[in-house]
Amino acid sequence: MSWMPFKIGQPKKQIVSKTVERDFEREYNKLQKLEDQTKKLHKDMKKSTEADIAMSKAAVKISGDLLSNPLCEQDQAFLESMTALDTAMKRMDSFNQEKLNQISKTVIDPLKKYSSVFPSLNMAVKRREQALQDYKRLQSKAREELRPVREDFEAKNKQLLDEMPKFYHSRIDYFQPSFEALIRAQVVYFTEMHNIFSELTDQIDQAGLTDEQRERENEAKLSELRALSIVADD
Amino acid sequence: MESPLTAESAPPTPAPRNHTPSPSPRAEAQEVRMEEKEGTVEEGETADTEEDSIYLSLSEVSVFVEEPAEDASEKAVAEEAAAEERAEREAQRQLLATEELVYTERNYLRLLQVCTCTIRSNLQKHQPQLTNLDSMFLYIEEVIDVSGRLLSLLDQKQLTPHDPLFLETLCEAFLSLSTDIESAYKEYLANYNNVTALENSYKQKEALWTEIVKVIKSSAPEVNAASLSFFLVMPVQRIARYPLLFQTVMKHTEPGHPAYSLLEQTAHTAIALNCRINEYKRFREVADKYKKTETLTIRDKMNRLNSHSIAKKTARLSQFIKHETGIAPKLVDEEFDALEGFFYLLENGITVLHENVETYLDHLQRFLSYRPEEFDLDMDSEKPVICYKEITTALRQWILPTFEKRMRTLVHKPLCALKELLAGPRNLISKRLDKLLDYELIEEKPSLSYDEQAVANTYKTINTLLLNELPQFNGLALTLLWGMLGAFSCLHKDLAADMEQLFQGFTQQLPPGSLEPNAFWEWAECSVLEGARRLESLCWNVKDQLNDSIVQPLSPGSQNRLKVLTDKHGSGKIYQLTGHVVGTRDLDLSLNRGELVAIISEMDTRGDKRRWLVDAGGPRGYVPSSKLVRYHQVTMDPPPSPHLTVTTMDCAGGVRRYSYHPDVRRLSYTPDTPQPQLVRAMSVPCFQVFAGYDFRARSSHEVSLRAGEPIRVLEPHDKKGSCDWSLVEVRGQRGYVPSNYLAVMPTSTTPTATYR
Repeated sequence: MSWMPFKIGQPKKQIVSKTVERDFEREYNKLQKLEDQTKKLHKDMKKSTEADIAMSKAAVKISGDLLSNPLCEQDQAFLESMTALDTAMKRMDSFNQEKLNQISKTVIDPLKKYSSVFPSLNMAVKRREQALQDYKRLQSKAREELRPVREDFEAKNKQLLDEMPKFYHSRIDYFQPSFEALIRAQVVYFTEMHNIFSELTDQIDQAGLTDEQRERENEAKLSELRALSIVADD
Repeated sequence: MESPLTAESAPPTPAPRNHTPSPSPRAEAQEVRMEEKEGTVEEGETADTEEDSIYLSLSEVSVFVEEPAEDASEKAVAEEAAAEERAEREAQRQLLATEELVYTERNYLRLLQVCTCTIRSNLQKHQPQLTNLDSMFLYIEEVIDVSGRLLSLLDQKQLTPHDPLFLETLCEAFLSLSTDIESAYKEYLANYNNVTALENSYKQKEALWTEIVKVIKSSAPEVNAASLSFFLVMPVQRIARYPLLFQTVMKHTEPGHPAYSLLEQTAHTAIALNCRINEYKRFREVADKYKKTETLTIRDKMNRLNSHSIAKKTARLSQFIKHETGIAPKLVDEEFDALEGFFYLLENGITVLHENVETYLDHLQRFLSYRPEEFDLDMDSEKPVICYKEITTALRQWILPTFEKRMRTLVHKPLCALKELLAGPRNLISKRLDKLLDYELIEEKPSLSYDEQAVANTYKTINTLLLNELPQFNGLALTLLWGMLGAFSCLHKDLAADMEQLFQGFTQQLPPGSLEPNAFWEWAECSVLEGARRLESLCWNVKDQLNDSIVQPLSPGSQNRLKVLTDKHGSGKIYQLTGHVVGTRDLDLSLNRGELVAIISEMDTRGDKRRWLVDAGGPRGYVPSSKLVRYHQVTMDPPPSPHLTVTTMDCAGGVRRYSYHPDVRRLSYTPDTPQPQLVRAMSVPCFQVFAGYDFRARSSHEVSLRAGEPIRVLEPHDKKGSCDWSLVEVRGQRGYVPSNYLAVMPTSTTPTATYR
């Protein structure tokens, strides 16, 4: 707008050009979204971890309660099966615990730390806003008086315009190990699960059954049971 | 100013080694966006400085006043603009995601063709003949065919991704081919284990393997492949990738978009395809691996449970029952006691198991309800993030749900049914006991009445019935249980197998993934610590440099309070509120922004460091420490008397600029910057000069000041020209006061002669 010598007639003055303001807004918005996502990710990961632990413990309880029931001792083969099941569940639980510990160290903690930067950042943006307000408020003063105010604002503005994109970009390097760790932890866990349960299934399960066949067998047995006179007819 | 964006102009994803050699549209587009952004920033800067200089030269001519009404409408316009920008960005992202889908499909097809044609024919020429080579390529033709058909359906319409109809065409093509996709991929995946097994057998012979690798590399030099499975694993990955690809497009599509419901349907279909393909794979595995001998062993064991033999193991159990129930029936039927005992244990076991299984399923559902993979921190072009998302999406959208479904069908449902069946025998057993007690009373009698006969018969019938059928019941129930638990184990195995299949491609692509476990975790933990360190230093920068105390002159009231608090607590304890606080708990204070307080304690009585005890110049209470910042005071020592010293100051004659704030740490204000030319102050002031602080005159040349009183400046310098001192008139007296003790405040009303 260099051809316009005067800006009289424009009741609202532009202390800060619209483009600069818009750039600032855009960068800040990106960071606000990042803050939001970081918090949500942290929360979801924690909750998902809790559910994961609970599931694993519930599985251990399934086998544990069965094994402690004297029922098992009635048949040697059954007892062996239940013991194998219980051992498998306990091992899985400990692998699960290990997996979640690793995730806690390499994912959840870093997430939390990252979130903790945002309050300072938000504060700094507020200060810039205050500086801007002060600057606007004292427009009527002579240039000499205005200078420290303007410089203060400009310094803050520049600092933030510098830092914000840098910080935003830094998330990539910061979180890369976390994502790698998440993948690796799961790979290890499911590999173990496959080994343990392949062995167990060979030991306690009837091989060569499809789901349909299993369902049919279950239904057959239940029918046999229902056919007994001692079982109530519903 | 060094543009912070130059660091980003390189594509964020390093061209993945084992994947596409050229950057995908996504990476390219990001580059373009970065460049565009850079352009805008520079533009904005130059415009700003221009406007700035124009403005300053006009400041003397008129007074500018802000109009709040204009503000509001401008804000609305700005918001609209922002919303438009967002919509534009989303549209662009949708486009990128769509292009990515198509582009990767083409690339995938191309690589498969390279493998099947070039590499295969080259390998066939190998002497000696490679065993079973053809079986490696058994089902790949169908996969290639269906992929080709998908792409040709798209190309036929001759639309580009920019075309609004493109998305619909894509979805329709996929949906129309879904049956064929399923049949092609299910055979391929069911057979894939054979492929890896065969490749491993090749790898056993080192020399042979080296030659094979040479052929591969020479046939496809632009691809960084080191094995056949590099190519052959692609269909395994591709089919699992469709759901996420379609979902990503959906994520950036408005629900109002014409193709939205079609997109949704396609995403669901993609998931369903994966479920069914995996199911088929399991079916085939089971059919192939059917080993009669193993089955019979376990079957045999289970079948043995049906016999009367359980009931025969009596002694311990009957003792147990007698002990537990406290019943000492006169008629001790050991056989019955054993059966009954067994039944109760069974009942207990089933009930507890049922409860535990339901708890387990509850937690599983809870686990499925969280979707952390959706928060990708806008890093969805990074390889590890993509992998993580694919893995987690697969786990949560079809692998675990399938597991859950099978759990319910094969374990929970039969368990519920079994539990219900317990009621019958249970009731009958307790009925028998009642009848037994009745029977015991009359049993000794030599002759029984008609009624008594009836009682005796009832008891005997029930007893016999139970004796006959309880063994069957017990045995069947136990067999059922055993079967369920076997299924439980098998389901876990299948779950793990599905996940392993998913992982097959990834470990190659992620370098750290190939590290040994210990090395990997060491690397991960170190990186995390390093990241934390860098973060801390960034935090410190932000805190240190930007969190200035609020730049504002003190009101007279504040000045008083400052004095009171400083006297009482010392200047080191003075803090300022950076924002309004409203007390919510007992002993919390409500204060305004800018108020000064003195710190009494940096924690509350419970040791919480976020609540500080402060003195607000009278009231005492707690405020949040996050709202407090150190207040730096001006040193109260005035400069030496005006007549004694001459200092070289910065003013170039003319009006002295009035001290705006006692202590401001200026960042950009370096001593080297040349001072601007001063302009004469207006003769019609819209501001008023006040005494900022108390000042006690120490000589006849000086005049005392009381903080807050209005003064009139006669000369903004002393006789020697030093700007340290100003000649003022206050309360009718004239004299010198330190210039930096003066404060200027704008007045909103037209100034009146407030001073005499």
